[in-house]
Amino acid sequence: MSSTRTLPWVEVRPTSGRIRRRGLGRRDTLVGFLFLSPLLVGLLVFRFYGFGYNVWLSFRKAGAFGPTTFNGLDNYAELLSDSQFSVALVNTFKFCVLVVPAVAIVSLLCATLMQHRFRGETAFRVVVFLPAVCLPTAMIFAFGWLFQTQYGLVNAAIQRLGASPVSWLGSSAGVAVVVTVVVVYLSFSVPTIILYAGMQDIPTEVYEASMLDGAGPVRRYFSITLPLLGPSLFFVLLTTTIGVLKLFDVVYLLLPPEQSISVNYGMTVLYYYYQLAFLGVGQRGYAAAISLVLFVLILVVSLIMFQLQRRFVHYGEDS
Amino acid sequence: MPLRVRGLSYLLVAVVGLVILAPFAWMVITALMTTAQTLQIPPSPIPSPLSLDGAQQVLQKLPFLRLLGNTIVVSIGRAVVTLIICSLAAYALAIIKVRGARLILLVVLTLIMVPGDIFIIPSFSIVSALHLTNTLVALVLPNVFDVFGVFLLYQFFRGIPRELVEAARIDGASHARILFTIVVPVSRSGLSALAILTVLNEWKELLWPIVVNRDVDRLTLGPGIALLRGTAVTDWNVLMSAGVMAALPMILIFLVLQRNFVASFVTSGLK
Repeated sequence: MSSTRTLPWVEVRPTSGRIRRRGLGRRDTLVGFLFLSPLLVGLLVFRFYGFGYNVWLSFRKAGAFGPTTFNGLDNYAELLSDSQFSVALVNTFKFCVLVVPAVAIVSLLCATLMQHRFRGETAFRVVVFLPAVCLPTAMIFAFGWLFQTQYGLVNAAIQRLGASPVSWLGSSAGVAVVVTVVVVYLSFSVPTIILYAGMQDIPTEVYEASMLDGAGPVRRYFSITLPLLGPSLFFVLLTTTIGVLKLFDVVYLLLPPEQSISVNYGMTVLYYYYQLAFLGVGQRGYAAAISLVLFVLILVVSLIMFQLQRRFVHYGEDS
Repeated sequence: MPLRVRGLSYLLVAVVGLVILAPFAWMVITALMTTAQTLQIPPSPIPSPLSLDGAQQVLQKLPFLRLLGNTIVVSIGRAVVTLIICSLAAYALAIIKVRGARLILLVVLTLIMVPGDIFIIPSFSIVSALHLTNTLVALVLPNVFDVFGVFLLYQFFRGIPRELVEAARIDGASHARILFTIVVPVSRSGLSALAILTVLNEWKELLWPIVVNRDVDRLTLGPGIALLRGTAVTDWNVLMSAGVMAALPMILIFLVLQRNFVASFVTSGLK
């Protein structure tokens, strides 16, 4: 490139400075859109076209192959009378109610512990992060084994204590417990570090001032740490809620589709959607309708949480 | 800190640490048992004699090395393509500031809130129309247009001093050159955070791979070892061996790059 500078026509260019600058501006725009094009094309195809296709499909009767036929609002009408769908919906909400507070409490506990300087701090941090980097499939199976009815370690411990063994994956309550434990285990690490970073950001002067005023450690925790942690805590609650609303891997691996009875104890909306779309016959249009319901559900829950945040979460003056 | 509080924190740290490690430990212990040993009542905590039957069975039942290779190729491929697409886009938005950048950014922020899982059917139709089902490309294709990544890098690129870029422009450097010689090196921490988060996300995929790729030869480790789950009888030592073998690579990488991982998690919470 630099050798072309010596060519005569390049020498001429700087004399018409105004034109050159405008030309570059247009060039900048061109390069800019060239740089954006891979992203925009991808989003256009997989998000905008994808979403439109999903909406279109939700008004049709469609299978994996062959032509589709328009059936108006039938798919949506079917949702209302589909008991299987209400099971999935109820389970999904149940898991949210159980998992989200549990993740918040566990990650707050771990973040608080990490605040203290102690020997083995680094080791503790490594341990807290292990669940976030381990293969979820592997850990879900490990929990499936721990909670196995006949040979599992948990039931062995329960029997040792003199109680009768629990059919963990064969009852609604049992599945709720196992799913909660597994989801919390797999998802508390990132919230922990986010809350930890949030705690680090609280200025020490605030604590010093409150200590001068005679506030004890418990009071300080509940009147200073938690309120000032609001934004981080909100982020954790929001991402965990969305994550649980689209829960799939844990229930799919613990309760495979072949187990027709117990699978209902853990059926979530996304799992039901997967079954209809890819294991069912001729139900892809109905599945598309369900995915749109899930989309609206996640949207509405997020909006509600943002509204609540406006009322309860205190952001510093600078933000 | 009073001694009593200190003692209590140590106790809590120990309990929490053990609870987190226990499932790992039991997975490793079971992996070293024979199938008969896993069916003892009550279960014995120490496998004797130690056995690698489970691992051998895994290698027989699954093309394990193939799955591992696929995982490495797919993770690196996804990370590289995601980084390229996202840094090009973020450069156009944060540094060139093309017309409509604010609008595009708004679209990006909106799409971050829309979970990709609801696009499984359309993505599957698109990928089949491209005749890409049962390929490694299919595993990553819908995921490389990562709006979160664009936003993350946008935040990093925005912090780069304007003068640095303008000086390079005056010296006649092209945008591509500025991106790769100035912007990328300056934003190393952002790029490495995005790379780590992308690889971890690929690591956690399950629904999309089982939908789009039916051949075990074309799967990654997570969905691959899921195939070992028996419908009627499960050999837990085999399943746990597969779990240990599959989880180990990432755990080792994590232990080496611990600081980078923690930094990238902090970045993921950035607003």
